[in-house]
Amino acid sequence: MRQILLVAPILIPLAACAITALLWQRPEVQRRIGVAAAALLFLSTLALLAEVVTGGMVVGQMGNWPAPFGITLVVDPLSAAMLVITGLMALAVAVYAMGPGAAERDRAGFQPLFHALVMGVAGAFSTGDLFNLYVWFEVMLIASFGLLVLDRTREQLDGGLRYVMLNLVGTTFFLLAVGLVYGLTGTLNLADLARVAPQVENQGALAAAAVLLLISFGAKAAVFPLFNWLPAAYHTASMPVAAIFAALLTKVGVYAIIRVFTLVFAHDQALFGPIIGVVAMLTMVVGVLGAAAHYDVRRILSFHIISQIGYMLVGVALMTPLALAGAVLYIVHHIVVKANLFLVAGAMQKVGGSFALAKLGGLWATRPLLGLMFLIPALSLAGIPPLSGFWGKLVVIRSGFEAEAWLLASVALAVGLLTLYSMVKIWNEAFWKAAPAEAAAHQPAPGEWGRMQRFATFAPIVALCAVTLTIGLWTEPFAAFSLAAAEALLDREAYIAAVLGTAPVQLAEAVR
Amino acid sequence: MDASLILRVSAPLLLWVPAIVSLYLLIRGHNEPGGGFVGGLVASAGLVFFVISRGRQAALRVMRVPPAGWCGIGLLLAAGSGLLAWIDPAAGYLTHRWWFPDVGFKVPLGTALLFDVGVYLTVIGTITAMVFALVDED
Amino acid sequence: MSIAPSLALGLPLGLGLAGAIAATMMKRGVAQAGAAVAALAFLLYLLAAPGVTETTDLRFGFWSVPSLGVVGGLRLDGLSLVFVLLITGIGALVLLYASRYLKGDTRLPRLVTLLLIFMVAMLGAVTADDVVTLFVFWELTSLASFFLVAYDHEKPGARKAALQALLVTGGGGLALLAGLILVAMAAGTTSLSGIIAAREAVLAHPAAIPAMLLVVLGCFTKSAQFPFQFWLPNAMAAPTPVSAYLHSATMVKLGIYLLARLNPVYQHEAFWQELLTTAGLLTTAVGAIYALRESDLKRVLAWTTVTALGSLTMLIGLAPALSATAAVTFLLVHALYKAALFLVAGIVDHETGTRDAAALGGLRRAMPLTALAAVLAALSMAGLPPFVGFVAKEIIYEAKLATGGAAGLFASIGFLVNAAMVAIAGLLSWRLFFGPLRPTPATPHDPPKSMLAGPILLAGLGLLAGAAPSLVGAWLVDGAVAAMLGAPAAVPLKLWHGFTPVLALSAATIALGLLLLLAWGRLMPRLRRASAFDRFDTARLYDRALAGLVAWAEGTTRLVQHGSLRGYMQVLLLVAALGPLAVLVARGGLDLPEAAPLDFRALAFLPIALGAIAAAVARGTLAAVMATGLVGFGTALVFLTFGAPDVALTQFTVEVLLIVILATVLIRLPVRARDVRTGRQRTVDAAVAGALGLSVALVLLAVLAAPFDPRLGEWFGAESVPGGHGRNVVNVILVDFRALDTLGEIAVLAIAAFSVIALLRASGRGARVGS
Repeated sequence: MRQILLVAPILIPLAACAITALLWQRPEVQRRIGVAAAALLFLSTLALLAEVVTGGMVVGQMGNWPAPFGITLVVDPLSAAMLVITGLMALAVAVYAMGPGAAERDRAGFQPLFHALVMGVAGAFSTGDLFNLYVWFEVMLIASFGLLVLDRTREQLDGGLRYVMLNLVGTTFFLLAVGLVYGLTGTLNLADLARVAPQVENQGALAAAAVLLLISFGAKAAVFPLFNWLPAAYHTASMPVAAIFAALLTKVGVYAIIRVFTLVFAHDQALFGPIIGVVAMLTMVVGVLGAAAHYDVRRILSFHIISQIGYMLVGVALMTPLALAGAVLYIVHHIVVKANLFLVAGAMQKVGGSFALAKLGGLWATRPLLGLMFLIPALSLAGIPPLSGFWGKLVVIRSGFEAEAWLLASVALAVGLLTLYSMVKIWNEAFWKAAPAEAAAHQPAPGEWGRMQRFATFAPIVALCAVTLTIGLWTEPFAAFSLAAAEALLDREAYIAAVLGTAPVQLAEAVR
Repeated sequence: MDASLILRVSAPLLLWVPAIVSLYLLIRGHNEPGGGFVGGLVASAGLVFFVISRGRQAALRVMRVPPAGWCGIGLLLAAGSGLLAWIDPAAGYLTHRWWFPDVGFKVPLGTALLFDVGVYLTVIGTITAMVFALVDED
Repeated sequence: MSIAPSLALGLPLGLGLAGAIAATMMKRGVAQAGAAVAALAFLLYLLAAPGVTETTDLRFGFWSVPSLGVVGGLRLDGLSLVFVLLITGIGALVLLYASRYLKGDTRLPRLVTLLLIFMVAMLGAVTADDVVTLFVFWELTSLASFFLVAYDHEKPGARKAALQALLVTGGGGLALLAGLILVAMAAGTTSLSGIIAAREAVLAHPAAIPAMLLVVLGCFTKSAQFPFQFWLPNAMAAPTPVSAYLHSATMVKLGIYLLARLNPVYQHEAFWQELLTTAGLLTTAVGAIYALRESDLKRVLAWTTVTALGSLTMLIGLAPALSATAAVTFLLVHALYKAALFLVAGIVDHETGTRDAAALGGLRRAMPLTALAAVLAALSMAGLPPFVGFVAKEIIYEAKLATGGAAGLFASIGFLVNAAMVAIAGLLSWRLFFGPLRPTPATPHDPPKSMLAGPILLAGLGLLAGAAPSLVGAWLVDGAVAAMLGAPAAVPLKLWHGFTPVLALSAATIALGLLLLLAWGRLMPRLRRASAFDRFDTARLYDRALAGLVAWAEGTTRLVQHGSLRGYMQVLLLVAALGPLAVLVARGGLDLPEAAPLDFRALAFLPIALGAIAAAVARGTLAAVMATGLVGFGTALVFLTFGAPDVALTQFTVEVLLIVILATVLIRLPVRARDVRTGRQRTVDAAVAGALGLSVALVLLAVLAAPFDPRLGEWFGAESVPGGHGRNVVNVILVDFRALDTLGEIAVLAIAAFSVIALLRASGRGARVGS
């Protein structure tokens, strides 16, 4: 059962992708299969999480070939958490995508691409092999490109070109780095790499390869100064697509940094800690400045993704149990909140007629519930207690203080205020300001906003709000889990033993 | 009289010969150079000729299932071939199972071949999809 | 005996929250219901009061996060008791008042909900025994204030004021959070009582002073201390009941509360004393001066609140035990009279249609009961006997005179400030209600009972408490003072201290105040015209900082996200070139492999080099695509010559596909066909590409110089036939050893196909192209 649960998060979306592709001309059927698959995925990830919590790390050797020769899938607490959140996001967005615009989207091929993207993300979160990680990066890249240009508007093609060019180059660096690492260590298995890396003779060359890995992961995670692709593209995507991008894409980059730099290059933390710390700081600041500078809801939200990536990297920069727990907590919180904000932005556009703050207004008077549903994720993003973001921020800052990283912690604090500012900017303009004439005149097209559409739009938003509130008000289980995940990340010996068996060296010797 | 007529007449030939060659490549791939990927490419080459000479509709009739569907079936086959691993529930996914039925000599039948068929179909689907999308509308 | 802690501490919060939710669904009587909830909470705390003395308290487990070391918990001691009674008592009266004041306003249910949420947040903040819990509630009060200030949110001014209040208090909140975390780290616990008990450890921590400063900063923003005072008068955009409740009686005192709460830790630190007294003194002066520049009743009151908050801060900073007694007494007195005056101002505004003090006068006959409340409250504010205000002021003077060295300065500034307060008290009572009646937009008369109840009751309480100060002292003040000092040390409250220098000072204060009042009509416009006060107003700093911030943000964003793909790519390539190279060199990793003899296979690299050069010099996009294709074919050739025909074949096919697709995209989509870069730009691009090439080459050489561990390849070779049942190792790797990679890769192929179908579908005929 463990082996099935381990692969299910990859296989379920894979099957959904294949089956919906088979049913290309039948969008309605595709849609139902899509939602069902997402629900099944979510359930399977929950079961996997339960398995990890009760029975420890789940490891599977694909094809039963012993590690490090075959490909190993490894799900530790962090991976399990990421998979659950992936399942949740897939379900939320799949339901949301049944809302307005579904017919057009599904005819264009949304469903197969969407599930392919989810498969890539799930694969990246499950794998214990550096090259296999690269493969999942490719899957994500191609699928996301297809999703991005789904509507084929002029601005989408423009954004899509920037997106795909910059990401292709970034991914190419990944492949190059994989080659370099393989050349130096003779292995691709992460656990085996963790074992071998400290013994590599030319640590300078290994560090150079690691920096190249960091650059490619960093480009994926949209850190400063490699984030340009994100603000160039995200605001052009349709809302379900933007939501799933915002939730998962950059987080895979962050996850890869956490995984590889806690596991493989931890012995060189003295070098990478400060590098990642500086990058984290600049990312936080430049990202939030971008959000403060813009007046389009989608652009503001896009820049916030960047800013918050910085918070997540603080954990890797400091690499203390608390800091990593903060990173885990922050990622989980952020994914839920950020995706939800994009979903809400879609609803705002639907009822308000625009994404531009200048053209929005009066929503608090006419749509108080929508206002509430905006406030919960928005204030959570800004770290206002007692919502989920507060706890993430609290842990990140405390771990910064404990590690005496004063500057890093101070920047994280100050950025919080600017985050609040830009969220309040949306609130003031879209909800409080009197509706401008054009917004007042806007009415959703009849038939496009029926009961089904309303359910599809608001059910995911309400559910994600509930998750945010739950993390905020009932923090203990999430905090405890994050700490456990951090402990697991720092217990390299356990990871290596789980993957390679207790006597990996003998195994390798025996093969020779 | 022009080249297109020659092409039109020879198209079935150009379709089926590569198809048979591709199957041969596919089957022997496990032991000799070949395999699903190359096989798929060769088969697609025939289909590309067919599309260029007879048009998309004709090619579609031959293919029966649209290219996206070929991709879907290919993916399902490749992924599905790994499911037999769980004859032993503790085995890792994609543990291939082998049978050696004796028909005078032992025929190695394994789910690895099924996997390769999946690769083969997906490659065909991919290339024809692209060609379909790129050729002008008829 | 008193009631169970759960009832005293938990129930009011639950009631408030339930009330807040219920209020959203109610149509009528919502404010009255809210008032009832607040009154019930008041009653619960009152019942709990006997259990709270100088040495005993009530505790209740609440909201812990053990994994993060957050212990949680609520605690009711003397200091908290003063606050919860003020919060619930004034809350009930204000809600009752609002029921009439905002009668018929459709937004009333939302207002009541917010007021109740605010009440819960305040109660939580002042009863929290955990710094994290305290902070959670603290921020909630800021948030509630944000929503309440912008009650008229369609007015830009209201939105601006709300944002200002939120950013100032929210920014201070961040400082507070940092400070509290540091303090909790030093103390080893987040428990407030634990922190106070661990005083030595908190003070000995290396970051003790920054931590203290950060906490004080948070308190100063919340309690509108100089230089953060400016947000408070602007917050008067809120409806009057809100101003009375949040911005005079309760929320702005939260900073004072925390200073008082942490006083046992810091009270003997000279820095703490100097900081608080100096800031407090400055704040009183600023408040008094600006109060005299205003004629809008609410803004006048807001500035006097600033003065009062300054006094409180100063009193906490003053060392003698006496000043703690003075602080608590004044806190109570101020809450009573200021809330009353705000409510009176609201009545005047409501009934006459204006709240311009200069345009009002002689309202006594039209609204006698209002006048009564105003006079009672104003007397207390002016500090005349027999009101508590007098008692408080006497103690303040005594405390100031007891400070030693700086006593003269403190007393003289205090003297002037108090005189100003006397003048303003006169303005709000005598000038408004006596003298000739001035015409107003509406015909004034006394409001209904529900609006009068608050001001009369609050002002009356001032009278009662003043008449029996020792009763108040024993019952409320002593417990709070004990909490502030960490030990019982109360000074008895007396109404009459005999003929002392302090009494003389009081008399002089009143005399000067009356003079100021007489001159107000001329003084106020002059002060208002004096632009120096505007120039040095810290609100300008805020405005400038905010504008500067936005400008900085826009500038940075334009600089970074400039929109040119070429620029983005340059950054990416440069980072990838310099990053690894820098690390390689810094780590001394530069290394060269032993030179191997060249053989014919080196020729395979020729097309790669040619392709690269051709791509670099090509002028047309299509030509460049073809040239890069040549690089790909060269790579395939390398694979072929090094014995990997399968891989070579794959590479060939991929290159063909890539070129076909790129070429098609170029033909179908409107992309610039020609290279329009200038010569200079091309040189830059070539340099960037060259740097990357050099960097990669150097890293690669270093890697090749190291011995290679071939165990993976060897194992694949050995296992292919026995394990994989195939002689073609490449195929066995693809379909077996690393089949998951292949699965992913064919998925990539399929997805690419789907993307192409999606991208190149004919409009409206997507199904056909897909099919």
